[in-house]
Amino acid sequence: MTRLPLVVLAALLLAPSTAFAQVKIGVINSMTGPQAPIGENLTNGIKLAEEDLKAKGISVQLVWEDDTGKPQVGLSAMDKLATRDRVAGVVGAYTSAVTNAVAKKAEEYKVPLVNPVASKEEITRQGYKYVFRVSATTGDYASILLDMATTLGKPKTIAILSENTDFGVSGAKSAKAYAEKKGIKVVFEEAYSPGSPDYRSTLVKVKGSNPDIMFMVSYVADAITLMRQSRELQLTPMAFLGAGAGFSTAQFASEKNISNSVFSSTQWTPDVSWKGSKAFGDRYQKRFGKEPTYHAANAYTAMMIMGEVASKAAGDREKVAAGLRAGNWDGLFGPVKFEDFDGYQNQNKHQMLVEQVQDGKYATVWPPALQSGKPIWPFPGWK
Amino acid sequence: MTIFLQSLLSGILIGGAYALIGVGLTIIFGVMRIINFAHGDLVMLGMYASYFLFTLGNVDPFVSIVFVFPLLFLFGAILQKTVINRVLNALPQNQILLTIGIGLILSNTMMLLFTSDYRIISTSYSSGSFRLGEISVSTPLLLSFGITGLVTAILYWFLLKTDTGQAIRATAQDRDAAQLMGVNVKRMSVLATGLGAGLAAVAGALISPTYYIFPQVGQPFTLKAFVIVVLGGMGSVMGATVGGIIIGATESLAGAYISSGLKDLVVYVLFLLILLFKPAGLFGKSRV
Amino acid sequence: MPPRTRTRTRARGLSAFSIVAFIAAVVLLALFPKFVENPYAVHLMVTFFLAVIMGEAWNLIGGYGGQYSVGHAAYFGIGAYTVLVLLQTNGVAPWWGLLPALALALGVAAIVGSITFRLRGPYFVLASIAVAEIFRLVALNWKSATNGAEGILLSGVPPIVIGGTEIVNFSSKVPFYYMGLALAVLTVLVTVWFQGSKLGYYLQAIREDQDAANSLGIPLTFYKNIALMISAFFTAWAGALYGLYVGFIDPQTAVGLDISVQIVLTAIIGGIGTVFGPVVGAAILVALSEALRSNAITDLLVAGGLVSETSSIGIFLKDHLSHAHMLIYGFLVAIVILFMPDGVLGAVNNAARRRRARAAAGGAR
Repeated sequence: MTRLPLVVLAALLLAPSTAFAQVKIGVINSMTGPQAPIGENLTNGIKLAEEDLKAKGISVQLVWEDDTGKPQVGLSAMDKLATRDRVAGVVGAYTSAVTNAVAKKAEEYKVPLVNPVASKEEITRQGYKYVFRVSATTGDYASILLDMATTLGKPKTIAILSENTDFGVSGAKSAKAYAEKKGIKVVFEEAYSPGSPDYRSTLVKVKGSNPDIMFMVSYVADAITLMRQSRELQLTPMAFLGAGAGFSTAQFASEKNISNSVFSSTQWTPDVSWKGSKAFGDRYQKRFGKEPTYHAANAYTAMMIMGEVASKAAGDREKVAAGLRAGNWDGLFGPVKFEDFDGYQNQNKHQMLVEQVQDGKYATVWPPALQSGKPIWPFPGWK
Repeated sequence: MTIFLQSLLSGILIGGAYALIGVGLTIIFGVMRIINFAHGDLVMLGMYASYFLFTLGNVDPFVSIVFVFPLLFLFGAILQKTVINRVLNALPQNQILLTIGIGLILSNTMMLLFTSDYRIISTSYSSGSFRLGEISVSTPLLLSFGITGLVTAILYWFLLKTDTGQAIRATAQDRDAAQLMGVNVKRMSVLATGLGAGLAAVAGALISPTYYIFPQVGQPFTLKAFVIVVLGGMGSVMGATVGGIIIGATESLAGAYISSGLKDLVVYVLFLLILLFKPAGLFGKSRV
Repeated sequence: MPPRTRTRTRARGLSAFSIVAFIAAVVLLALFPKFVENPYAVHLMVTFFLAVIMGEAWNLIGGYGGQYSVGHAAYFGIGAYTVLVLLQTNGVAPWWGLLPALALALGVAAIVGSITFRLRGPYFVLASIAVAEIFRLVALNWKSATNGAEGILLSGVPPIVIGGTEIVNFSSKVPFYYMGLALAVLTVLVTVWFQGSKLGYYLQAIREDQDAANSLGIPLTFYKNIALMISAFFTAWAGALYGLYVGFIDPQTAVGLDISVQIVLTAIIGGIGTVFGPVVGAAILVALSEALRSNAITDLLVAGGLVSETSSIGIFLKDHLSHAHMLIYGFLVAIVILFMPDGVLGAVNNAARRRRARAAAGGAR
């Protein structure tokens, strides 16, 4: 406390030198509220990007805005960033619901928005010119897993269990469509309300339908509850497939009893053979004391791209948007390019990965070109 | 048939923990006529207490209840003495809002202290089970159900056989009459809140090895406890015990035969029907 | 907001002064977008108006009638969903969609009221929560109509065109500002009327003592029902406005329990059973939550040179203050209930009255 006046003085002296000719970039993220545990990964990823930009001689000033997980609050943040802070561009938001609302505003204000992780397909299908997405879309989570499953085995039936939220329902929808396309019969489909301590009555129905593979879309903690109770009820399909989120956290992997051999689709892993992945994972671990999720890598990538482009364009919004449309990047997230295809605009065609819990750790097992370990197929049974 | 038996069994077992939460709420209501909207947050505090005892002190969650109960008893008693006591004669609506405020304070303080990360307690038995013919019985659920039974038995003994217990029941039956009879009503209110908080926390500790913990985990338990208490009859300990088990089983069967997304809907509709057609609940009004 | 010292006169019914002050405030607010073009400021004002409308609407049944509904999210959701579903999937223009939305809210309120007003005190509160949760679960599971958890994303609000010329274009916030302002003023005027009407007197009698009111021959359920219907009507209107304004609704953000709680808090913190209590509550809550969320308080301290941005206190505040807004809400509620049971406006009025009484006593001596 006694050093306070000194620090104030130092800050006053330093302030002018750091504050000039900086490009302002807005960040919208769920820093509080129910989505905060995952939002934290985005915050951390962006902090690392800020450091790396600085190391490259690019000094950006970040304006952080909390959307608390609510669309109307996201709108308020976007208004503030676009009109009061006059940022060159915005990186965000986390949830699809907030991003939906924010993207519409970004388009109105002609503020370039680079979205890191929201996966709802519609977001980049509105004909927007200023909305760019690094993230893969919901459908990709299901298709990579089913592609792998049909290559490794011959599943004929599938059970789809998802939480009754935007993420869960749209994930289940695309899984169903893709399974039917691949000739796999959907024998069970249900959306549960998340947060319940007891899913046994649902799981016993799944067991009764005797599916070859089981596909689940769940957030962090429910994934563990579901797998615990699957073990209790001795559910043994050919494979348990999880669509990212709750199935791709370090916490889930560390529950070896129940997580071993579970597959999960993900956008990024620390051990994927993309340039700098491993170093990023180690650095993150050292800095924040936990393993990064793909959200952190997505957010890092989005901020790096936005930082570089915005500083080159000297903060001019039109030039930033043009730079984003024209450029392509390659880093720890693999190649990134914003393209128009299949009804999408400015959407990055991201290569999804499949990871599998092997002995309490994730191994990247699919696609073969990027794998760090061989997939274990079929499910070897409960220990 | 397997589906029916399996759902019924796990519903009844999980209902045991619900019952404890409901009993805590009903005792507080019985003695003070206050509906505690922070009740789920007391369950949450119990979960965190048992989590830290487990990770820092290596105390098994089921054993931890001997520490968690007195800890939260004390907390509840202090809360009553310092805050809730001030609104005993206020409008019921203001009492409700005060407890909503307390709930916000509790859950958000925990969030500031321990972040909103999900915490998991992993015991050797967290996903353990044994088979009983066609159905599988969860070991931790069965254990927690047994402990619930034991705790409830002790509680009944306390309420029925000890002087203090009888004083609490008398206060619940008629506060003014109890005061005239020389019961220290103020002390009973403190005791009742402590007891209610302690029971909620025990339930939290018992659920913790099969569930997860985060600062906002309490809210659904608050709503569930309301349903249980109204079903059993506000203020009735017996009613809350039975009500908890009925709600557990209803949820589970609704999940099996209607849809797991609709089980809450079934419970709320049931709740409204009871409020409308049998507002006194299954076990009358003031039979603590 | 007008300075606090003036609010005492406004709250004591409608003196000539408060009428003048109110009209002046409305005129100023009506001119506001002409001078302040910043959409952020306009947005905060729209948020404020929405809070005022809902607080005033709730105040009719909760404040004057003492029937604490913690389930007004149901009506908010009915308004938002009806208008947005009709617009997005059937292409019905919102001003036409508003009619069935408001009619539905009236009908639902009549049914809910006639069922739940049999219950009293805490039982009524619990029933109102259950009703709202049932509506949320219906919105979540009735996928064919509401698109379930995925919610409804509006592709745009069509402009109002009369005779081939565009009258109002909704791509700017300004039309929403004026709609919000108009509706907020309307709810305040309705409250003024209500307060002096037979209906208002009956409800206050019911609040003070139901049994006494009943024995005087006031049909309790009937009058409670009428008040609830008016309340639901404006809450649904606010919901429709919110849905059109934000352009996205899902069961949690349009029918969630926190909406109900937020509405109650607005009225309680300002002061229930008064005309301007909810206005004060809305101002406090909207300003406070935005200031905390956007870290404006820390920025202000830094700018004022009180705290350095890089000092440990500055960093702590920056990291934690914005996370603490619900905590501060909690404390605010507890403080208001414990120390100002008539809300902030009530506390200010009481203090003023005491000062006046003291001055009067001093003068007499």
